[in-house]
Amino acid sequence: MTIDDRPASEALHRAVLDSALDCIVTINAEGCIVEWNPAAERTFGWRKEEVVGRRMSDVIVPPHLLDQHRTGFARYLDGGEPRILDRRVEVEAVRRDGRVFPVELTITRIDVAGPVMLTGHIRDITDRKLAEEELRRSRARLVEAGDAARRRLERDLHDGAQQRLIALGLDLQVARSTLSRDPAAAADLLETAIADLGAATDELRELARGIHPAILTERGLGPALGALARRSPIPVKVELIAEERPPAAVEATAYFVVSEALANAARYSQADSVEVAVLRSDEVLVVAVTDDGVGGAAPGQGSGLAGLIDRVAALDGTLVVTSPSGGGTRVEAVIPCG
Amino acid sequence: MPTRVLIVDDHARFRASARRLLELEGYEVVGEAGDGASGIEMAAALRPDVVLLDVNLPDTTGFDVSDRLRGTGVRVVLTSDRDASEVAPFAEGAGACGFVPKGALSGANLARALA
Repeated sequence: MTIDDRPASEALHRAVLDSALDCIVTINAEGCIVEWNPAAERTFGWRKEEVVGRRMSDVIVPPHLLDQHRTGFARYLDGGEPRILDRRVEVEAVRRDGRVFPVELTITRIDVAGPVMLTGHIRDITDRKLAEEELRRSRARLVEAGDAARRRLERDLHDGAQQRLIALGLDLQVARSTLSRDPAAAADLLETAIADLGAATDELRELARGIHPAILTERGLGPALGALARRSPIPVKVELIAEERPPAAVEATAYFVVSEALANAARYSQADSVEVAVLRSDEVLVVAVTDDGVGGAAPGQGSGLAGLIDRVAALDGTLVVTSPSGGGTRVEAVIPCG
Repeated sequence: MPTRVLIVDDHARFRASARRLLELEGYEVVGEAGDGASGIEMAAALRPDVVLLDVNLPDTTGFDVSDRLRGTGVRVVLTSDRDASEVAPFAEGAGACGFVPKGALSGANLARALA
């Protein structure tokens, strides 16, 4: 960079510094601050006149990084190979109130005659780090939710249809052995076996639907929600406004939001009626399930709704549960349609 | 003297069907237990010749119950609806004399496991 000393150019450079969203901090060969723009004032809590002339290490370097900073700076001044010059690094800095926070830092050497001048471009990345951490946690929760769903499915199969079918097999063995000498007993066993077979078939159908309902794949969200509504013990009114089908992942997520909300309404809400509204625009699918029950619902950790919040978030959507005590419950998901 | 059997399984429907089948095939079912703890108690009280013991129990595993029945003189045959490859290799290590898949339960297969 070449510093032009013409007044107009000086004003321009000043304006660039002043309007920059990133902190721009320049230090001299003694490590003292010579430039400190308004973004630095906002970020660190120090005004320019309070820090110019002070050692940068005393102002923004957190205690645990001081030795590293001093060693690196001294090595560079002695002609050593720079380690963090001209590239982006993530380090920590400290605010005026002592709070340490993550920053992205780029240090460049200013091309001016005379002693070394270094400029640091510093960006507060606290929000980004928090978002990354939440993303990591959300991914872990999704994996855990998937594992939990598979464990539940295995248990349901084991305790339900599998046991019925095994018992049915044993009963048929007995029926075969008793058929000639006690036909009436054999017939009773066969009756039980037929009933068990029907029950096992029903259970398998329920489980299959819980994994992914065939009607959703074949006919889309409207008919699938209609089927959910017909199975609900509470009267459900479904209104769907969508010219075309949303992407499959969006459609499935919307379906499971409604399915979970209706299941919760049936279990806890004491509602007289539920309304399901689905509206598709070009950009988003809005799904709202509203009941007139007792309210007071909270999507706790490990609950079906908490899992759905992550599932919706994985599609860059949001799911909000509004459930004032005595005021009914509204579950609303807004899912981008890509 | 018929072989006296105690059935330990948490599914009542399986216990009823297994009892019917084994009794038809000449065994005497002297009792049924729905979990590991009561299975151990009933084994001590009823002194059956063999315990037909499910691997998946609500309070413990069939392997553990089998292990605790070592030295009591009661023989154990493990059973499960899980694949034999997941259970059979560990039956002997738990002190059981054999494994019969639930779906293949019969008097003949039980006798084979006890042989």
